[in-house]
Amino acid sequence: MTSAMDTPPGVALPPPITERGGVGWAYANLFSNWYNTVLTFIFAALLGLALWFGLSWIVLEADWKVIATLGGRLIIGQYNTEFACPGQNCFWRPQASLLLVSVLLGMAWAVSGDKAARRIAIGVAAVTVAFAFLPYSMDQMGLDVRLLLAANVPAVAAGWVLARYTPLGTVRWMVILGVLFFLVILVLIGGVPGVPGLQPVSTIYWGGLMLNLLLAVTGITLSLPIGIALALGRRSSLPLVKLLCVVFIEVMRGMPLITLLFMSQVLVPLAFPQDFSTNSLFRAGIILTLFSSAYMAENIRGGLQALHPGQVEAARALGLAGWQTTLLISLPQAIRNVIPAIVGQFISLFKDTLLVYIIGMLDVVEFSRAFIQGNAEYLASARELFLFLALVFWIFTYTMSYVSRRVEVHLRVGQR
Amino acid sequence: MIMIEALRGFAYYKGVPLWRHALVLQWTLQILSGVLVVALVTTFFTNINNTIQDREIPHGFSFLSREYQTPIGQHFLPYESSDSFLYAFGVAATNTIIVSIVGVILATALGIVVGVARISGNWLVSRTSLIYIEVFRNVPLLVQLFFWFYVVLALPPVRQGYVFADKLYINNGGVSLPWPSASNWSAAWAWLAVVLASLLVAMVLHRVLTRREAHTGQSSYPLVSGSVAAVAMSVAGWLFVNAAFGEAPFAISDPAPQGTFGRIAGGFTISGGLMALLTGLVIYTSSFIAEIVRAGIQSVGHGQTEAARSLGLAPMAALRHVTFPQALRVIIPPLISQFLNLTKNSSLAGAIGYSDLANVAKTMTQTAPAVSIYLLLAAAYLAMSLTYSLIGNLYNRSIRLVGN
Repeated sequence: MTSAMDTPPGVALPPPITERGGVGWAYANLFSNWYNTVLTFIFAALLGLALWFGLSWIVLEADWKVIATLGGRLIIGQYNTEFACPGQNCFWRPQASLLLVSVLLGMAWAVSGDKAARRIAIGVAAVTVAFAFLPYSMDQMGLDVRLLLAANVPAVAAGWVLARYTPLGTVRWMVILGVLFFLVILVLIGGVPGVPGLQPVSTIYWGGLMLNLLLAVTGITLSLPIGIALALGRRSSLPLVKLLCVVFIEVMRGMPLITLLFMSQVLVPLAFPQDFSTNSLFRAGIILTLFSSAYMAENIRGGLQALHPGQVEAARALGLAGWQTTLLISLPQAIRNVIPAIVGQFISLFKDTLLVYIIGMLDVVEFSRAFIQGNAEYLASARELFLFLALVFWIFTYTMSYVSRRVEVHLRVGQR
Repeated sequence: MIMIEALRGFAYYKGVPLWRHALVLQWTLQILSGVLVVALVTTFFTNINNTIQDREIPHGFSFLSREYQTPIGQHFLPYESSDSFLYAFGVAATNTIIVSIVGVILATALGIVVGVARISGNWLVSRTSLIYIEVFRNVPLLVQLFFWFYVVLALPPVRQGYVFADKLYINNGGVSLPWPSASNWSAAWAWLAVVLASLLVAMVLHRVLTRREAHTGQSSYPLVSGSVAAVAMSVAGWLFVNAAFGEAPFAISDPAPQGTFGRIAGGFTISGGLMALLTGLVIYTSSFIAEIVRAGIQSVGHGQTEAARSLGLAPMAALRHVTFPQALRVIIPPLISQFLNLTKNSSLAGAIGYSDLANVAKTMTQTAPAVSIYLLLAAAYLAMSLTYSLIGNLYNRSIRLVGN
């Protein structure tokens, strides 16, 4: 009798063609059985058709002139108009703010050493340089604007050098500089009365993508701590504190943001002194932050609930006080576990900044819509414009979820 | 000295100083926060009240019976400008509820298909689904709504619009399609009652046969028998109503161009705004639902699928009878919150010219007291949220693990 041991050793044959290389992959992933084969053909045909029509529309039919016409106004809205900034060119102020952001990005690249930070820093530098050297004439794109755009490359480099070769290259300094730069940006854009070249620009003229980003950054920075406080309040053993937190969270979550924003426009002027309540930017910021922190609180509460009770018990057994247990043991683990949900909330806050249109602020989308409405000759280009805006927003939101995935890798979520 | 000792005695409770005693601290904190909130809320409402009285702004709810006298775009309940504010509010709420229900059904169906496609073994299918999810989830809904709105607007005008078989009209005014219309409402209601009864009978039949199947192991075809019974009863009811009232309960009304401008009359017209709104809402929400469905299915242990397959169930049968029922427990809670999101997101309708509740309420504030309208609006949205939560929680309770 023969067995496997008895067969003479021979040359190891390669696996059959259907198991290896491109053919093997296609066989396993596309044609493994009859209905997969049918599905593959149907999807290939549909995708091919969609690509064919999409590309031919983008290249041949679509008229992208509207984007060059709007140009810089998409970024800053009415900011640099005669009403907002009479007799002066104010475009350099948002641009200087962008330079500060670039410095921070360069620092983040050097400090984190992560490929995500590197890609974002290089990406921002590359996009700004590309716009600076674009051969088209865009609205508000003079030589000064182009030079300031190109300056983002040395700004990123300066940030990188600063973080690498000076003591500023720590996370703590980055946070301090981030807050400092944010305040400087607010002063730059808002202006200072009496300073030549920095004349005040009323907040009703802040607009475009700049407004979306400012509101999003403010909301993100403030809604996380408020959300944590609300989540802790909701889990508190004090009945009154718990009740107040539950009522606040559920009322905020039960209403559409658009209704809250519009209510704030009508009710706040009735309830507070005149000069305090006329600033719609301020009101929009507060409502967005509160709305987002209610959702944030629920995400963090989910993280706290999922935490094993042994963690808290062990901390208490080691003699940590209640507040130490919460701050040093529960919260860090809870937040780490719900990073995707928190970043998801950041993304939806960013997407929600569009809704300020309801109180008459001209963010990038409302500015575009108003432009289309007011210029009938561009009505046919509305699809191109909104497709372009969709791409811009997609790049921002996708970058945010990409960063969150990298943060998770660094914190080794799911590996402990 | 004695005074200080007495004070010390007073400041201690069971050997712990009062300023470090847990009970004292907790109650101080609670009372402080309570007082603070009450003070804030009172100031807020007193100020509003004072301002209203100082500036003689109209207030109260007496406006509700007044005539609204403003047209509402598309509406599903019959509406005239001479109707009252209260009725107009109801018409607008119906508009929102209809968008919410239709949107929820379509988004769930699409979301399940995309979510299942996401975990397909077919590379092309799962990649396509991934791109769908990543694109539509990450672009703000308002941008998508505007895009669809201008796509609809870019359709040809009524006279050059697309016509399919003289039944379906697609143009920049929206989509017109055949729709049942009743001339005799008592006949229509009678038949609808029969249909409702037949559905009940079918459900009972389905349950009885399923139980028998589980009990005896013999195939009883519960789904087929139930459907056949329902259809048969409905048809019989139709014939009976037709004979009793002398006319059919419903007739199909076809849309047709009328007048010099070729305006479409008859049938049912989904206005451009509603079409863009539903398209945007359904696609946007379905990309979130797809992720929920995917996560739910993946949360079921792989052993379950393998066991089902090794028992001889086909892949689709294993998904339908083994994986999906277990995945539902994970899927339902976040799914309900997506339903709520869809309902709340429908308040963006105003931006593209559909008269939903938020939009009509906003218009109402021009001729009626804003504070009262907002109270009504808040109550309406909270009621809708609570209804969805209630239904979701009831369903969730019915499918949860026994003993949990």
